[in-house]
Amino acid sequence: MLLVLSEEHKEHLGFLSEVDPAVVGEFGRIAVEFLKKGSNPKIYEGAARKLNVSSESVQHGVEGLMYLLTESSKLMISEVDFQDSVLVLGFSEELNQLLLQLYLENRKEIRQILGKLAPSLPHYHNLEWRLDVQLASRALRHQVKPTVTLKLHLEDGAKRSARVLQTDPATLQHLIHELERALAELKSSHCRRILRNIK
Amino acid sequence: MRFRFCGDLDCPDWVLAEMSTLARMSSVKMKLLCVQVIKDLLDEGIDYDKVSKLTSDAKFESGDIKASIAVLSFILSSAAKHDVDSDSLSSELQQLGLPKEHTTGLCKSYEDKHSALQEKLREISLRLGRLEAVNWRVDYTLSSSELKQVNEPTVQLKLQAQDPETDSTQTTVVTITADKFRVLLTELKQAQTMMNALQ
Repeated sequence: MLLVLSEEHKEHLGFLSEVDPAVVGEFGRIAVEFLKKGSNPKIYEGAARKLNVSSESVQHGVEGLMYLLTESSKLMISEVDFQDSVLVLGFSEELNQLLLQLYLENRKEIRQILGKLAPSLPHYHNLEWRLDVQLASRALRHQVKPTVTLKLHLEDGAKRSARVLQTDPATLQHLIHELERALAELKSSHCRRILRNIK
Repeated sequence: MRFRFCGDLDCPDWVLAEMSTLARMSSVKMKLLCVQVIKDLLDEGIDYDKVSKLTSDAKFESGDIKASIAVLSFILSSAAKHDVDSDSLSSELQQLGLPKEHTTGLCKSYEDKHSALQEKLREISLRLGRLEAVNWRVDYTLSSSELKQVNEPTVQLKLQAQDPETDSTQTTVVTITADKFRVLLTELKQAQTMMNALQ
């Protein structure tokens, strides 16, 4: 699969052919840092002053690199396809090799970061439980009624929430049974066949 | 193999794996580490500098330090949870492969703080909607817009309780007439008698 780069993108990356390969390597490192930790505009100013160009071209160059890396990692394109896509930009052989190295080294980590951007549902964080026996109430004395109280802590990104649930032991047994059946479903032949094909 | 300190279940694999990590420390240092872990379980704060000094002889990496703290926390809190006496704990740990001197040290620390640990675990057990404060006031209504001579005493009750799901304090204010308040008091006294009978 070849990457199709827009005209604007090609223009932004065109700036990279005007500078030293060492500088491109530096830009590559900055681009990966920004992908991991978020961008820092002050670095553009410093680099622009050192290279004697406008900070806007530096910004475009770095952002162009970031976009190139994320798109290639997202589509998981092979080395050959990456080289062919980059060939369009008309860079020197050395620059092409540099970009290829950058891509291959950082691919796995960028994919991990991209994986976290998908929308997610609140997921399990902690479960507290308590077993009580109700002995009497205002309406009725001399009872023996066991109940299980659960506090389910959930996490959704940065937010924590908690739900309080109450059940009697019979329902709890049923719940456990159903969840064990769900786990056992993973070992069924139908599921195994699908997992084998995905791998 | 069923272990009493794991609640009559199998010992988790990771606990078994970390026994060899613990054996790498000298037994004296491990006993001091146990004291630190117990302080952490009792919410008295753990001194990480002391911990790193203790583990530096055995040349633990940060992963090993975390693992040894985790496994000691698990063993001590699980033993306190299931009310295991220190002799059974000692024999079970030796079965898992922990050397004798280490086991004796651990069990001695456990025995010293056994009841304190159980008290702390009882405190952090699940409790919903704790009542934090009760304030009251008795008023005497002279007259109102509906009736010229009212002459009625009322009680104003302010209850501050913890919301079960968000853990924030909620305030409820109620005004109760004398008769209703008498009923409330009688019922609560009956509940109190029942609670005292159970103690």
